[in-house]
Amino acid sequence: MRAMKSLIRGDRRRHGVPTLNVASMPDLIFTVLFFFMIVTHMRSDEVKVRLEVPAGSEVKKLTGHPAIINIYIGKDKSSQWAVQLNGEMVSPSELPARVNAIRSKLSPENAERLTVSFRADRHAPMGLVSDVKQALQQAYALKINYSATEISP
Amino acid sequence: MFRKRFRQQIPELNTTSTADISFMLLIFFLVTSSMDTDKGLLRQMAPPPVENSQPQDVNKDLVIRVELDAHDQLTCDGKPVTLQELSEAVVSMATVNRTEHIVAVQADRETTYEAYFRMQDAIVAAYHQLREQYSQKHYGKAYRQLTSEERSLVNEYYPQRISEGKSE
Repeated sequence: MRAMKSLIRGDRRRHGVPTLNVASMPDLIFTVLFFFMIVTHMRSDEVKVRLEVPAGSEVKKLTGHPAIINIYIGKDKSSQWAVQLNGEMVSPSELPARVNAIRSKLSPENAERLTVSFRADRHAPMGLVSDVKQALQQAYALKINYSATEISP
Repeated sequence: MFRKRFRQQIPELNTTSTADISFMLLIFFLVTSSMDTDKGLLRQMAPPPVENSQPQDVNKDLVIRVELDAHDQLTCDGKPVTLQELSEAVVSMATVNRTEHIVAVQADRETTYEAYFRMQDAIVAAYHQLREQYSQKHYGKAYRQLTSEERSLVNEYYPQRISEGKSE
């Protein structure tokens, strides 16, 4: 009888819920964190103009990150059409000099592959777009990627 | 009293909150970084025109004049067309005169960028269709499955001959 009692008591004592070992949890989350850090890239410049890119069916992925110049055309805070080169607002007339300055900082290899990622708003007038394109032509930045979202044909 | 405490085992460090901290880092990265890759239509512009150069004479039969007016109306050789018809016109012209034809593009200053982009997209789609046909016929594969050498051969066979005029 006594032995029985002690057995029951011992059983009861063991019944306390064991704590979950969460020591490896941070490691797990860190792995996920590193994965995200590798596959994503930080958007380097703040876009100061409002724009919505057009949609097309023939779009392709743009690669070659270090040799890309971003140009944004959209409406600024005062609802005027404005041009932004990388992080700064510029006027089309000063574009060639700016582009050349950026190119001179690149390695010769990248300078050759230089691509302009052209993000312009759907409703932007072609007059402005054409001015920007001519400025790029003068700066010999001839590869242009017209950014767009993809639609299935 | 003190002695008793020292004799006790060293307590384990409570690391429960490390998970929370790393979660916060993870969420921070998710918010600030962007997954979206840049997609777009890659075009090569012509180098700037040399001063005092004479405009070259080209055979008018080989030119498709594509124009966009201030109201985004697309015309091809003077006739209003849809994007689909423009694509077809480019395909038929490029089939007849593979390496000689010219697609002359002209947009008004008041045209919206979207109309211009869609026109470019339609022209590129036309060339894509031709290249797809050629690669199916000669390599028996889809264009996107070709190796880069084969692809450049196909591209040379059907060159994109687009000439852009100034917007006025």
